Amino acid sequence: MSGAHVEAFSRSTPKRLPRAPRKWQSWALLAVFVAYVGGTVWSWRYINMTLSTLFGGFTELWNLVTYMLPPRFDRIREVLDATLETIWMALIGTTASVLLSVPLAFLAARNTTPNPVTFAASRAIITLSRAVPTLVIAAVLTLPLGIGPLAGILALAIHSIGMIGKLFTEAIENTESMSREAVTSTGAGKWQTVLTTIVPQITPSWIGTSLYRLDINLRESAVLGFVGAGGVGFVIQTTLRSLDYQRAIAAVSVIFAVITLIEVVSTRLRTSIIGDHLSTPTTKNARTEARERRDQRLIIDAVTTRRLTPPWTYERIVRTSAALIFLALIVISFVTIDMPLLSAFGLIDEIGESVGRLFPPDFTTAGPELWQGIRETVAIGFIATTLGLLLSIPLGILSARNIVVKRAVFGTTRLFLLGLRGLPELIVAVLFVAAMGLGPVPGTLALTLGTATFMAKLIGDALEEVSPVPREAVFATGATGVQEFFTSVVPQALPNLVSQTLYMLDVNLRSSTVLGIIGGGGIGFLLLSALRVLQEPTVGAIIIVIFVIVYAIELVGSFVRWLVE
Amino acid sequence: MTTSLSGGAGSLISLTGVSKRFPNGTLALDNVSMTVPTGQLLSLIGLSGSGKSTLMRHLNGLHKPTAGTVHVMGVEVSSASNRALRGVRRNVGFVFQQFGLVGRATCLENVLSGALGRLRGPRYGVISYPRSLRREAFDHLERVGLAPQAYQRADTLSGGQMQRVAIARTLMQRPQLLLADEPVASLDPESSHQVLELLLRVATEENMTVIVTLHQVELALGWAHRIVGLRDGRVVLDRDARGLTQDDVMEVYQRVDRESNLASGAPNTVAAVTDHVKV
Repeated sequence: MSGAHVEAFSRSTPKRLPRAPRKWQSWALLAVFVAYVGGTVWSWRYINMTLSTLFGGFTELWNLVTYMLPPRFDRIREVLDATLETIWMALIGTTASVLLSVPLAFLAARNTTPNPVTFAASRAIITLSRAVPTLVIAAVLTLPLGIGPLAGILALAIHSIGMIGKLFTEAIENTESMSREAVTSTGAGKWQTVLTTIVPQITPSWIGTSLYRLDINLRESAVLGFVGAGGVGFVIQTTLRSLDYQRAIAAVSVIFAVITLIEVVSTRLRTSIIGDHLSTPTTKNARTEARERRDQRLIIDAVTTRRLTPPWTYERIVRTSAALIFLALIVISFVTIDMPLLSAFGLIDEIGESVGRLFPPDFTTAGPELWQGIRETVAIGFIATTLGLLLSIPLGILSARNIVVKRAVFGTTRLFLLGLRGLPELIVAVLFVAAMGLGPVPGTLALTLGTATFMAKLIGDALEEVSPVPREAVFATGATGVQEFFTSVVPQALPNLVSQTLYMLDVNLRSSTVLGIIGGGGIGFLLLSALRVLQEPTVGAIIIVIFVIVYAIELVGSFVRWLVE
Repeated sequence: MTTSLSGGAGSLISLTGVSKRFPNGTLALDNVSMTVPTGQLLSLIGLSGSGKSTLMRHLNGLHKPTAGTVHVMGVEVSSASNRALRGVRRNVGFVFQQFGLVGRATCLENVLSGALGRLRGPRYGVISYPRSLRREAFDHLERVGLAPQAYQRADTLSGGQMQRVAIARTLMQRPQLLLADEPVASLDPESSHQVLELLLRVATEENMTVIVTLHQVELALGWAHRIVGLRDGRVVLDRDARGLTQDDVMEVYQRVDRESNLASGAPNTVAAVTDHVKV
């Protein structure tokens, strides 16, 4: 562990708790920190990680890279079809999840819920659906639904409720209530009032959330094929299994390009939707000015002729065409995707039956392996977080443009990070498993890389937001660049770093529960073997274990965040 | 005054022994009884926290009394079913200090929402309302002088314009009774006058019964038939506006002022009150 980290952490403690003497909270923070360090040390020894396995891993990776180059695009048709299927799965899954989340959110929001029972029930559904990873749900659903995209879509739809429902609920709770009181006073009914006053206020936030989740789900659906639940993951896995590395990397690069492209598009859409037209910057180019003049003319025409339908202003055109494009995409996806749509409803009974077979859960048959799986999962999470953090610090510093003044340096670092983030962790993991063989090490390395790139971006951004005023003051005393960095930059960026590390631990423990499904170590491996031999009660036990792990982390995480605040 | 029973002939509103205690323990209304005949213009005065807003909110069922009964247009509001309550609200216009507009919706849409009580089922967007109602909404916007802003978002307007849109929304209800709770308190003096004048003009043109709470005593004295003063949830003044002097009205405030001076020993309460009561 890093001495700098320890020192920095304890130095930050009095700064974080400037108010009243909150003695036990500082002790609790210290205890969390000690537990974290202890966890990392234990994990390192448990997995038998050594520096030589680490670097040995990298040489094997290099070998794999040489096998993979150049990529062979000769069967590109198959890859493109699978990639399209991946996109449609993400789209349908997200849409279904949004449709399910809308009623849940209104029932779960304090200001719209009809009664305490529905309030508690819908909150419980939202929380529970988040606790089991998509890949696990998909793996279980392939039992009744068979191989194909339907299991994947359902898994995406169910798991996404956790995030979409939560954020939708918060959006409803954040609306102002004065317009609601006013419209209620006109004699409007409850749902009339909700649609007239609340819905216009939440639409931008809801669309932003849905687009964001679409992004996440695209990454998730790229790996669902690993359990036979449709999409490009299946192509990647089969080519890797048959040691056809050049075609595998071709498929990986296609999905990488698609994910990056869609991320760019959705980020732009989100900023344009959430950034209200009122808060647009004052600098306007000729085109926006012309557009505004046209809108103004249309509005004046409409009111002078007393048009009873709203004029087609730029905003309305954009909104309507976006809605039409979305509907068209949904129709196309349903038509294109190879899925027994109507019979899906007939399968509800079978789904219920297979879920029923998971109970009562059997903890004894796989007892020792289960215990080992849990420990391995936790160990992977800890190592990946710590190693990732250590790697991310230099990367993050190199990518901050106010610290590294050379454009070439921060530019290449940013590009490198952006490139690495474009690949879902599980795809990286499956490549590492191909290079190094089964076991916890490749999985750990994949998560480490994911953590490092994500944290490096956060650190870079946090550093760029550091106030320049103290920096100038320290420079003025004649300090060197390095001295200045430690005295003025580090303390400013630290609190954020602490809570982000905990967040990463949370994310990594979740990911490491499914790593085993692709042979990357942890409890997921046991899940897959139990599924293969149809030991459903054991599967039930494993799901409960995963659920408990994920839920426990979430509780600890929110407790620590509360402590840090 | 307490003699009149449930909506007797000519009286639109009657309150009998109404008390309201909020869950946090505050007694906002203390045994208030009064009747208001049809066509009366009544001004409620009193310091902030004296119970004016609470009283108004009892008249359309936004609040339920802890004790006593509230009759509005022959309906016992305090025990009415949701359906009956909606019926009452449809006929009671309410203008709020903070306007209560949906900022992201256009002015026309905000005005149209005043017709929801007459319609079945939820509506979203201008085109979901019948064309006849859209025409009517345009008329009302014209009446408040904001037809040119019909297709502008409400949050692009000034405070005075927003309150005028809110008045147009109220007109959409074609109410018999208009409640206005500090309708001009958030506005600058110039638009205060314009908005209040507009409000009273349309109310008298439509033969509405009006109850307005106001800070500006001068304004209240200028047009009201009757002045009711509240202090600590109790009626401390209830008189015909004719012959009422400024000093009589100031009593409502000043007595409180002396009491609070005694209680808190605050030296600058006099200044605060005179600032409060713009004369």
